[in-house]
Amino acid sequence: MHIFVVEDEPVIRRELKILLENAMYQVTAPETFDAVSRKIQEARPDLVLLDVNLPGVSGFDVCTQLRMEMEVPVIFLTSRTDAMDELTGILKGGDDYITKPYQAPLLLARIGAVLKRTAGAKDKEAVRLLHKGAVLDISSCSLSFQGQNIELTKNEMKLLHLLFLRAGEFVARMDLIEYLWENQIFIDDNTLSVHVARIREKMKDIGIQDFIETKRGMGYRV
Amino acid sequence: MTVRSFLKDRCLLLILHGVCMCLLAVFLRLTGYGTANIGLVLIFWALILAAWMGTAYIQRRSYFREAEQILERIDKRYLLGELLPDSFRLEDKLYREMICRSNKSVIERIRRVEEEQKEYKEYIESWVHEVKAPITGIALVCENGRRKADTERTAVDVREAFGTVSLENQRLENYVDMVLYYARSEEVYKDYLIQETKLWEVVYEVLEKNRLLMIQNQVRVEAAAEELVYTDRKWIAFILNQMLLNSVKYRSEQPVFYIYTERGKNGVVLVLEDNGAGIRQEEIPRIFEKGFTGSNGRSHERSTGMGLYLCRKLCGRLGIGIRAESEYGKGTKMFLEFPISNYISR
Repeated sequence: MHIFVVEDEPVIRRELKILLENAMYQVTAPETFDAVSRKIQEARPDLVLLDVNLPGVSGFDVCTQLRMEMEVPVIFLTSRTDAMDELTGILKGGDDYITKPYQAPLLLARIGAVLKRTAGAKDKEAVRLLHKGAVLDISSCSLSFQGQNIELTKNEMKLLHLLFLRAGEFVARMDLIEYLWENQIFIDDNTLSVHVARIREKMKDIGIQDFIETKRGMGYRV
Repeated sequence: MTVRSFLKDRCLLLILHGVCMCLLAVFLRLTGYGTANIGLVLIFWALILAAWMGTAYIQRRSYFREAEQILERIDKRYLLGELLPDSFRLEDKLYREMICRSNKSVIERIRRVEEEQKEYKEYIESWVHEVKAPITGIALVCENGRRKADTERTAVDVREAFGTVSLENQRLENYVDMVLYYARSEEVYKDYLIQETKLWEVVYEVLEKNRLLMIQNQVRVEAAAEELVYTDRKWIAFILNQMLLNSVKYRSEQPVFYIYTERGKNGVVLVLEDNGAGIRQEEIPRIFEKGFTGSNGRSHERSTGMGLYLCRKLCGRLGIGIRAESEYGKGTKMFLEFPISNYISR
């Protein structure tokens, strides 16, 4: 996925580029903004992040020009927070409108959402994860092992999901908690231990022993 | 204007008449008129004088009553000069002119002050927008820094340092937001976007925003806000954010927050319940006052007494009810009451 970033603050531009590249996007971020809509057309990106206040030109105008030529999804980034501006953004054909200062996970989530909406969910996330013979089925929210199956709650599901995604390495407790928070499960450190204990109980029922390792004061590993 | 005060005002005239009457009596006596004649002349004089004074009194009284009534009726009282009833008297005309001139200068001064205030407000707004760029920059640097520290397994304190800067940056952001909303609170109607708002989305957004702060303070949250309301999303998010920050600020050892909605007969209520320090019973009515920092505000982190004041002000503009219940030492419940308009629900 190719994202075109139009942002005039050098620091924000640089950091956005790093952030998006870390999230496995290909990024183009020009440093000058003359004829920027032509540059975008030439680059043919999958998504444009467009700052509203650019030197000498308004992001809204860029969007209008762009819309005449191509149907690329546009997300406005702006520090202005008037309702009027938001409305203008939408009327000019923007797909989303994010106000500064934005939280990085939120920004990535909104980018993901817009891409999904416009691309019609091209590449689906893997729905089944396999590790050491245990299969985590995301769509049915269950874990199976040697033909036996257990149901998982949403919290347990998300927790195991991250552990499976990073199978083989220790995942810090803090990372786990943050990941859960990003998925609308708002727990603290103690509750995390409780959840892990409960998962271990459940696993025992279908014969999985010592699947989740604990490293004291560090985190967990599958 | 009483008869007495009127007569007192005219006492010089009355004395003059009295002296003249005496002189006339002496003169008539010396020229040989009888007592009865002199008496008759003086009585007529007195009658005419009384009639004159009477009419003058009635006229003046009605004039000032009218002026008084006009003053009562108009809302911009400094415009009285333009509205005073017409009068043939020179004095009235002169006073009226003077009042008009003085009013004009008052109006000019008000204009100037309004202008200055407007410019100041505009500057504050543009400043807020400018300062958000560096705040965003810092936030992104911290986020990238934290991720890099994770993948490259650098020392834990580097990661922590980024986290701390990021938290402080967020506090800064909140203070900046407060300034913006304060500047705008007078004219909410210019910045409305009333739309169907899913309360759970707002709740998630606010929680997500404060993720680092809450995780670091070991907060557990149970959120189940399932109602739809018609309101301005951005303002609600700001209000909820202030309330949440308060809950974090006055948290207990093991903080648990419950965020849920209730459907009452008059509308939807969003409740934020915490198990924090609570508010003293006698302080509850005052927590929404400007600059009020209760015993909690003094014993905990520095409190500005602006957060809840702004909340109430914004709620007032949006037509949302806000109130608090609390048990000291056990926890606080904050309520946001969204009325359901018959018009919308129909």
